[in-house]
Amino acid sequence: MVKLKLLPSADDPAEALAAVVALRLMAEKLEIAAVKAALEQGWSWSQIAEALGVSKQAAHKRLANSLSKPRSE
Amino acid sequence: MFHTVKQRFRDMRTITALCSGAEKLANADGQKEPATEHLVLSALELPDGTARKAFERVHADSNGFRAAIARQYEDALQNIGISLAPDTAIEDEPIAVAEGKGLFKSQASFSSVMQTLYEVKNEEQKTDSAAPLLGAHVLLAATSAQYGVAMRALRAMGVDPAKLAEAARAEIAASRMAQP
Repeated sequence: MVKLKLLPSADDPAEALAAVVALRLMAEKLEIAAVKAALEQGWSWSQIAEALGVSKQAAHKRLANSLSKPRSE
Repeated sequence: MFHTVKQRFRDMRTITALCSGAEKLANADGQKEPATEHLVLSALELPDGTARKAFERVHADSNGFRAAIARQYEDALQNIGISLAPDTAIEDEPIAVAEGKGLFKSQASFSSVMQTLYEVKNEEQKTDSAAPLLGAHVLLAATSAQYGVAMRALRAMGVDPAKLAEAARAEIAASRMAQP
């Protein structure tokens, strides 16, 4: 469990909230990259869901569409 | 009357281009739904060029906006003690996601700017019903926000959002003067 006293100071709400946005984006990108790698290595959606601590349906619903046919820039 | 109707159709095409452009930019950057920063990037690509010219008016290079978005993320993380190695910077990790299916969906900041854009255009149409929707209008609407990624990115570029809004207004006025 993360100890609250180890969290960065939130005395400056604008900076703290900007950090939350950045962390969220970084987490989303890491999640997509990790799930993509897991699928490429033959993981099932059940295994991915278990590792993420969510239901298979929730993992599939949230991530499957993001992974199919990525756009090319 | 005919000019007004024709202009409304043109504006609808511009809005479609803005939304699909923003969505593509967001998806290419690994985000499912576009936010204000993607709308600004999309506005910079509009052929009218007024958004780019507004940046020029405040002596800023609009090509630097995308890098500034990444920089403000890095700055935000650094402020809480997370330092990204140069080769792992957010902008260097383009994890594209699949394009959205079905109805267009966007982040809350995007919807908020679109609402402001609608109000800005509505106000303008009271005096000039045939004035086209321009990239500068998008900048004007976007800079009405005080916080968020887009505003932080502007400040990271050394651009004062209020001054950019003034420049956008000047571009809109210049465009109206140039109309036949």
